[in-house]
Amino acid sequence: MIVLRYTRLGTRRFLSHIDVLRDFGRIVRRADIPVGYSGGFNPHALLFFSPPMPVGVGSVAEYAAIDTPLTADETAERFNAASGEDMRAEEAFEVPRNPNLAGRIVAASYLFPFAADAYDFSRGLTVEYVKKGETVREDVSERIFAAGEKEGRMLLTLASGNVTLRADRVFAALKGLTGCDGDVSDVVKTEQFFREDGVLVPVREALVRKE
Amino acid sequence: MENFSDRLLPLLSQAEKPSRYTGGEWNAVKKTHPVRARFCLCFPDLYEIGMSNLGMQILYSEINSHDDFACERCYAPAEDMAALLKAHRIPLLSLETATPLKDFDVVGFSVQFELLYTGVLYMLDLAGIPFRAEDRGEEFPILLAGGPCAVNPEPFADFFDCVVIGEGEGVDAAVLALVAEGKEKGWSKREILRRAKEITGVYVPSMREKGEKVVKAVYADFEHAPYPVRPVVANTEAVHDRAVIELYRGCASGCRFCQAGYYYRPIRERSPERCAQQAKDIVENTGYGEIAMCSLSTGDYSGLHALMDGLRDFVHEKRVNLSLPSLRLSSFSGDIAQESRRSSLTFAPEAGTQRLRDVINKNVTDEEIDNVAKAFEAGYDSVKLYFMLGLPTETDEDIAGIAAICARLRELYFKTRGKRGPNISVSCAVFIPKPCTPFQWEEQITFDEMLRKQNYLRGLLRRIKGVSFSWHGAESSVLEAALARGDKRLSRVIERAYELGAKFDSWSEKFDWEAWQRAFDDEGIDMREFTGAWDTEADLPWDFIDTGVSKRYLLAQRKLAYAGITTRSCREGCNGCGANRLGRCTIE
Repeated sequence: MIVLRYTRLGTRRFLSHIDVLRDFGRIVRRADIPVGYSGGFNPHALLFFSPPMPVGVGSVAEYAAIDTPLTADETAERFNAASGEDMRAEEAFEVPRNPNLAGRIVAASYLFPFAADAYDFSRGLTVEYVKKGETVREDVSERIFAAGEKEGRMLLTLASGNVTLRADRVFAALKGLTGCDGDVSDVVKTEQFFREDGVLVPVREALVRKE
Repeated sequence: MENFSDRLLPLLSQAEKPSRYTGGEWNAVKKTHPVRARFCLCFPDLYEIGMSNLGMQILYSEINSHDDFACERCYAPAEDMAALLKAHRIPLLSLETATPLKDFDVVGFSVQFELLYTGVLYMLDLAGIPFRAEDRGEEFPILLAGGPCAVNPEPFADFFDCVVIGEGEGVDAAVLALVAEGKEKGWSKREILRRAKEITGVYVPSMREKGEKVVKAVYADFEHAPYPVRPVVANTEAVHDRAVIELYRGCASGCRFCQAGYYYRPIRERSPERCAQQAKDIVENTGYGEIAMCSLSTGDYSGLHALMDGLRDFVHEKRVNLSLPSLRLSSFSGDIAQESRRSSLTFAPEAGTQRLRDVINKNVTDEEIDNVAKAFEAGYDSVKLYFMLGLPTETDEDIAGIAAICARLRELYFKTRGKRGPNISVSCAVFIPKPCTPFQWEEQITFDEMLRKQNYLRGLLRRIKGVSFSWHGAESSVLEAALARGDKRLSRVIERAYELGAKFDSWSEKFDWEAWQRAFDDEGIDMREFTGAWDTEADLPWDFIDTGVSKRYLLAQRKLAYAGITTRSCREGCNGCGANRLGRCTIE
């Protein structure tokens, strides 16, 4: 099985998760990447993805596992020839079995278009959103795992997967609190993490090191 | 020129489905080099609908195949996005280069059916382009319309500089070439239109002369007609999200209510070898997991078996599904259906009794309906059936016949498959008399009668287990009929309806019947004038359009309809409709 780390930038930021799944299947077919299929009446290609992300947010760290006999390099090369500039495999590596990306990813880091010190997270953070017509206010402090900086900009590690904190909601809250300018489409996911022995480990590191 | 894409970007995250507006699809063509002329192909409905339209893909790829022309696309934005554009004073933009529509040389609308007329105005409004051709000066692009509605262009003719009657392949590019030449030589719009009028299929409403006939454009060499083997792949799920191959154009069946069956004559088939190659190319160029073999009656395609043979290994190897829409019961055979791994079959008997099917020349017999047993044997357990209510001469007995067919199918299912019953879904449209058919003079049943018939059928179907029933809105069917047979006066009604808020009329939840009724009232026009019975001697608004099929033939067919006499399929011998004047009928 090959794991691809791929980007979703430019126009591809605006696809919904389900659109990405559909698109991915097509890319694989037109790239002529042979894939295994499930059994049953409606067989589906054995492709596995990291958790969904909000529409509009960019990423340089999306992951997909593909059940293919090709080498990692060949898979990435064919993928890139068929995927367009806004969705590119930047890295590919072989893993011995289905890494269960959706089940094991617990966090993702995002670079926000705000100055690193624009907000003091020791104050906690409350997000607000509309669900089924009603405004929900939620204290999300516990789902912010780390606040750091990269090149002077704010880098946050947020819960992802089964317990999740949507980066677009954090963006909206921070924009309101800090008065900073910017658009949610300027937020970029930079890495995703598994938790091992209580420590967040980047996906690639966890998969390549151990498996 | 102002860069609108930077201004558009922050709005996208606020839109409900932003991927409708980003462009950047696989196979989209973005030309950055200078070109002689630019064409914006517009579809007056949402992205998901427009991206499913084969005609748009054909024209887009054809125009872009010319290195010195560029073709871009624009679809009607949903109302949330329209509001954002308006609030930020951004005009409607093309997907490829975010260019305002009014900066193109030609803006062409694909008008697929009558309930999209307000969609044209909605898009022009957002684009900042005046609705009426007479109100647009030299600074505005040439506005062109095409598509099936051009069979009677009069209701919308005043909005356009020219209308392409018939098939756009070759014609749109010819108009664009003229516009390019005009730009280079400094011709006025009027001069360009004067020359465009000479192209077969081009109607210039502002220059129509008394007694003038506009001959429908027919792409004669269908085998080699331009075909998009690199179609644009939609960003978000389109209604028909699959590889489409067009097996043939026209139809041999001659159903008397069917506009497409008459309008797209003469019949021109494409060879199974070419179709198979196109299908393979499209799958390889797009990655689609399904190939739809399209035509007005796919089971009648003479190369169907050869085509299936030619694709068998490929679809197996690539794990692609084949789908065969538009099968007729009489042409259905189990072996073909089995190759498309599906669980549901769709058929259109259109009428419940043999008598009425003879009237409309839907050559399907009760024995052929029994053919569905073969599908049950092949493993299918859902059947979708399409019918029409309000066909000429229809009685309640014919409606009861619809229920009888459902009961019969259930019985057949129990015989072949045993215990659990089949799922049968019945969908009923209302008959709409359409121009260029033998029923173009017929009346449409009244609104009350529609409701009565629908209720009657619903009552009958309720007694049969496993049958679901859906029907078309009576109000929108009345409007569709009025617009289909409308004349020039209706352009004012369409404008007024739009002013009153009518848009997206084909979406039942958006359909605003009150706005339309008021619009007709405000313009002093009685809708019934266009939905009632017409004298066969009267002049018709579309008499100046020459579709190849003679009025005499249509009248003769009408007479046969009332006598309950069927006409054979064109495949059994030529019936002399006249369409082969415009191009060779390849099944003759």
